[in-house]
Amino acid sequence: MKNEWILEKNHLSYWLRQLRKERDLIGPLRDEGKDIVFRSVEQIHEVILDSPASLPSPKEFLIPQYDPMLRLKVAGHELAFPSRPQPVSPDVHMKESFGKKRVLDLMDKKKRVIFGVRSCDISAIRLLDRFYLKGYRDPYYEQRRKNTLFISVVCNNPDPTCFCIGLGTGPYLEEGFDIQLTDLGNRYFVQAASAEGIKTVRGMSFLFSRPRKTDLDDQYEVFLSAKARFHKRISLESPRRMILAGRLKDDFWQKVAARCFECGGCVYDCPLCTCFTVTDRRYPDGVERIRLWDTCLFKGFTRMAGGILPNEKRVLRTMRWYYHKLIHYPETLNKFGCVGCGRCAITCPGKIDMATIATEIKGLALNGEEE
Amino acid sequence: MKNIYLPVSGKIEEIIPQGRDVSLFRVRTQMPLDHAPGQFFMVSVWGAGEVPISVASLSGEDNTVELCIRRAGLVTGAIHSLKAGDPLWLRGPYGNGFPLDVSRGRDIVVVAGGIGMAPLRPLIKWFMKKPEDVGQVTLLYGARTPDEIVFREEMEDWKERGINVLLTVDRADEGWKGHVGLVTGLWQEVHSDLKRATAYICGPEVMIKAAMGELFLFGMPEERIITTLEAHMKCGVGKCGHCYAGPRYICTDGPVFSYREIKNYSLLLSR
Repeated sequence: MKNEWILEKNHLSYWLRQLRKERDLIGPLRDEGKDIVFRSVEQIHEVILDSPASLPSPKEFLIPQYDPMLRLKVAGHELAFPSRPQPVSPDVHMKESFGKKRVLDLMDKKKRVIFGVRSCDISAIRLLDRFYLKGYRDPYYEQRRKNTLFISVVCNNPDPTCFCIGLGTGPYLEEGFDIQLTDLGNRYFVQAASAEGIKTVRGMSFLFSRPRKTDLDDQYEVFLSAKARFHKRISLESPRRMILAGRLKDDFWQKVAARCFECGGCVYDCPLCTCFTVTDRRYPDGVERIRLWDTCLFKGFTRMAGGILPNEKRVLRTMRWYYHKLIHYPETLNKFGCVGCGRCAITCPGKIDMATIATEIKGLALNGEEE
Repeated sequence: MKNIYLPVSGKIEEIIPQGRDVSLFRVRTQMPLDHAPGQFFMVSVWGAGEVPISVASLSGEDNTVELCIRRAGLVTGAIHSLKAGDPLWLRGPYGNGFPLDVSRGRDIVVVAGGIGMAPLRPLIKWFMKKPEDVGQVTLLYGARTPDEIVFREEMEDWKERGINVLLTVDRADEGWKGHVGLVTGLWQEVHSDLKRATAYICGPEVMIKAAMGELFLFGMPEERIITTLEAHMKCGVGKCGHCYAGPRYICTDGPVFSYREIKNYSLLLSR
């Protein structure tokens, strides 16, 4: 039997309330400004399902912007530290006898259900899985990933900036999701793919009914209409080939870099940017080792001992961002480091987002301007 | 779930000064941390942070590791203010380490600049331990000034044990009678056929680039010109992105690379 059901829309909030009993319920909400953010849901009716893309992406629930990792506990009197965290000077540090200190693991073990996630973001998380869990497995990511259930929704109203359709990462998914909902007007078509997703739906089977032929037809129609609504049809394959073939003029990236404000907005909002920095923060009773989002667009990102800056030229940093997503991701993970969510296009003040630059590169080819 | 970011505490047994702003820290851990030449540890002082430091010793049986550290910034400054008996925290070892199969039966040229001697020291110790495995070993070492030469006394010992040690400085002082100039100006003193030898190089990036390029022009095959690269690192395990260069992570794909592996990646060597 296929893992497909129908959920009447007036049962949705009951279902979510039930899920909230065991997990923290996270959903897309409108914040004080007008951005859409994923936050803990107090009032279920405030969840906005046909919203534009959230800023940032729900990656912040797997790799939070501020992520405490370890804590070293020390008895208070042994440290003459100020009560508030302050910048550390090299001459102040812990001096204490061997083996008496205790390091606590600050692993976040909270169970969450994230509702209303877009297909592109689920595609991104599947790539994050491959990145974080290959080689050395990142325990903080793995723990959160294991404890998080994603309920994604098929996009039937893509933003003007969206281009997942060109990358096969949306607007709906064939596989790899936990639970996927398709809005059929007065009801949802519900699909479960992962073991946890199937278990979750079956656990409350009285809410769900079996789909009929008409439901399947309706879902198919939504899929077709979703695909037809995209403004942008961008492939990243031809830009990749242009770059690899060395067909861009030398000053191409110079011109792109000249438009970069080095704000890091694209990196923070990108569902696939993962770079972080690690820093120690001191408290009266110990030290916390935390990690924070970082961005390769900052000059100091690669600063080495003695103050050497390998990527001092801005053009090198701009290229690093594009090369990582367009060239190196396909080399190592066989996928582009972009899911077409369009967030960089919303954020970038210099209009050098992925879609714009990919289109520009393609335009060079069509106009025969390349060397 | 195993936490790869959790360091173990070690105890500083001895601190041996090595020239200006550089010291060799011998650290004892409760459990053995087996390490190979060319690998590195993430070394931390709680409250200051973590830095990648290459191993300067051969893995022994006594649970110790030696780290040669220059006072260069916040964390290394904090490490330098520690005394024998103080704790130092380690996790690792990480990285691939030097390939040793390319050295078998061949003459060896070790080219080092400044504190770039640190990761090459265990390699020299290894060659001295297994003299039957390799031919003539030559060390070309350059420092800015004579008082910045690291492992100076040890180098005398290496000389006595048959290693051709060639020293040079950028700026001589009154007592200096040796070479003045770049290490790459000492090739004529190497009594080995460079086409058949293997080179291990570490130092400032400009020196690495020059040495690799010149050895290649002398006919040394690309896969036997080996270097180890330095980078800003926050995790050491291929996640934080700081050492990412070209499609590679210096921490997990390196830090040891052959000329063949890096020559085409402009992002790596023209950084």
